Amino acid sequence: MKLNDPDRPETKVALELRGVSKSYCSESGSLVQALDGVGLTVQEGEFVVLIGPTGCGKTTLLNIAAGLLAPDSGQVLLGKGLRQGDNIPCVFQHYTLFPWRTLLHNVTFGLEMRSIARHDRNDTARALIAKVGLSGFEGAYPHELSGGMRQRGAIAQALAIKPKLLLMDEPFGALDDYTRMELQQMLIDLWQESQITVLFVTHNIDEAVVMGDRVIVFSERPGKVIKKLQVKLSRPRRGLSQEFTKVLVELRQSLGGYVWPGE
Amino acid sequence: MTCHYLRKRGKPLANDEQKNRSPRNWPKLLGWTVVPVLLLAAWQISAVHLQQPWLFPPVSRVVEQLLHPLRQHYASGSLLMNTSVSLLRVLIGFALAAVVGIPLGVLMGSVRTIRGLIEPLVELLRPLCPIAWLPFAIAVFKLKTVPQLFGVRFSHTILDHLQLGMIFVLFWGGFFPILVNTLDGVMGVRRNYLLLAKTLGASRLQSFVHVCLPAAMPMILTGLRQGIATCWFVIIAAEMLPGSDSGIGYLLIYAADQSAMDIVIASMIIIGVVGALLSFIMRWMMHSAVIWQGKE
Ligand SMILES: Nc1ncnc2c1ncn2[C@@H]1O[C@H](COP(=O)(O)OP(=O)(O)OP(=O)(O)O)[C@@H](O)[C@H]1O
Ligand SMILES: [Mg+2]
Repeated sequence: MKLNDPDRPETKVALELRGVSKSYCSESGSLVQALDGVGLTVQEGEFVVLIGPTGCGKTTLLNIAAGLLAPDSGQVLLGKGLRQGDNIPCVFQHYTLFPWRTLLHNVTFGLEMRSIARHDRNDTARALIAKVGLSGFEGAYPHELSGGMRQRGAIAQALAIKPKLLLMDEPFGALDDYTRMELQQMLIDLWQESQITVLFVTHNIDEAVVMGDRVIVFSERPGKVIKKLQVKLSRPRRGLSQEFTKVLVELRQSLGGYVWPGE
Repeated sequence: MTCHYLRKRGKPLANDEQKNRSPRNWPKLLGWTVVPVLLLAAWQISAVHLQQPWLFPPVSRVVEQLLHPLRQHYASGSLLMNTSVSLLRVLIGFALAAVVGIPLGVLMGSVRTIRGLIEPLVELLRPLCPIAWLPFAIAVFKLKTVPQLFGVRFSHTILDHLQLGMIFVLFWGGFFPILVNTLDGVMGVRRNYLLLAKTLGASRLQSFVHVCLPAAMPMILTGLRQGIATCWFVIIAAEMLPGSDSGIGYLLIYAADQSAMDIVIASMIIIGVVGALLSFIMRWMMHSAVIWQGKE
């Protein structure tokens, strides 16, 4: 089935999931249902955040979108020009860079796989490394970089292959607040500049409101979409404006969470 | 050892440079200098007193032998010649083991069918001491040497000492450590790195070359290190058995028969030093090849 068909010219969908379900067979032999009929769409150029309690299948969903896992049932539809294993890279929380490659060669990895000439790929990589603020560390190995620097490198590595859709699985989950805010800002800047589509998983409500054009809330396992929230706040979304807090509270409520008294 | 010592005291681990300079390192310093000197002195004094050089030669006589590595010991050749023969045998056996062991380990690690077919055989043969192959090897290869493989009966070089039987036994000594470590290395590659490579556009072959192999490299090198150490053990034992006519192990047993204890001890020292050197060289090569190891 084709997306963006002439019947619906107004929508430019990058990724659409329809009724996607996935179960795992655990080591003990019992069946664990991770996703239960998930449907969602991501428009081209959109920044969509997925949020949900731990173990609800967010990683599973991203892996399905990236083509690393096949769903048991349901469909994964990709927009024009999007191909799994080609221009849909995924930035993980851990193991984001190959430890046996220097930063430069990590960033050139995707280009090397495409047999791009060494000179060209090094130029591209150097420019991206500068863009993510790691100039001077081209020759460093991942173990010589801090956690935040590694995630910057991972973003450069993903951007090097000119992604159409960038999947991110709690990329800033292991960072301290200060680094996290820096990287959030950097990612938003890169996104606004490059027009890519981002599907971003987090379990941090604040992060969801800061980053997302749209926030999709998942239920506990088995994961289902329980709420879709349009965030119409202007960027940059720093500070504790009333609108920001309102969205935050709304999101918190939908997660069945805790609300401050008096709100 | 130093790490353990520091950790027990609840101190943070210092980096290597600091560790070596630290004053707490004096036991190690003494261990390398004063302790051996004291031991040698005690040996020399007691040997001179005992006056039974066929049992307990003084250090000076052993050193004298070591200082004349070219001296011919009757029909058995010199220290240097015999050491070279042993080393050459080991290097050839080890190289063969690596050439077969690494590709087979990689293949078994990545193709489940091949692993299933070969693994039982490996588990069956692996516990067999390599020396146990020797009688069989001698029966099969007789005293055939490498030059004879190429139709040269006597090359009148060191190559005439490279009996196929010895190399066959050495092959088994090196083969299993290399195979098993390579296999573990390839199978232990973190799936996350393969997934990452896939999303970045790597084909299966590319993932194999650019992810599996580098990720398994530390284990492959560990296998090589264990392999060469085993080969060195095996060759000494094999040369000490009847049927051997050269090698440092042979010189050792020959000198013992002649009650030339100074040559026996000199040979033992050479065996120890060469073994340590082999291990050191492998470690050094590993260190420069996989600086990232253990630092993921
Ligand atoms: N390989 C696997 N084998 C068996 N069960 C799995 C496997 N991977 C995930 N699961 C199960 O599927 C469920 C969803 O896992 P998933 O990793 O997608 O959750 P998540 O939302 O990403 O969680 P978190 O926020 O903690 O990262 C979990 O309950 C987990 O136990
Ligand atoms: Mg997850």
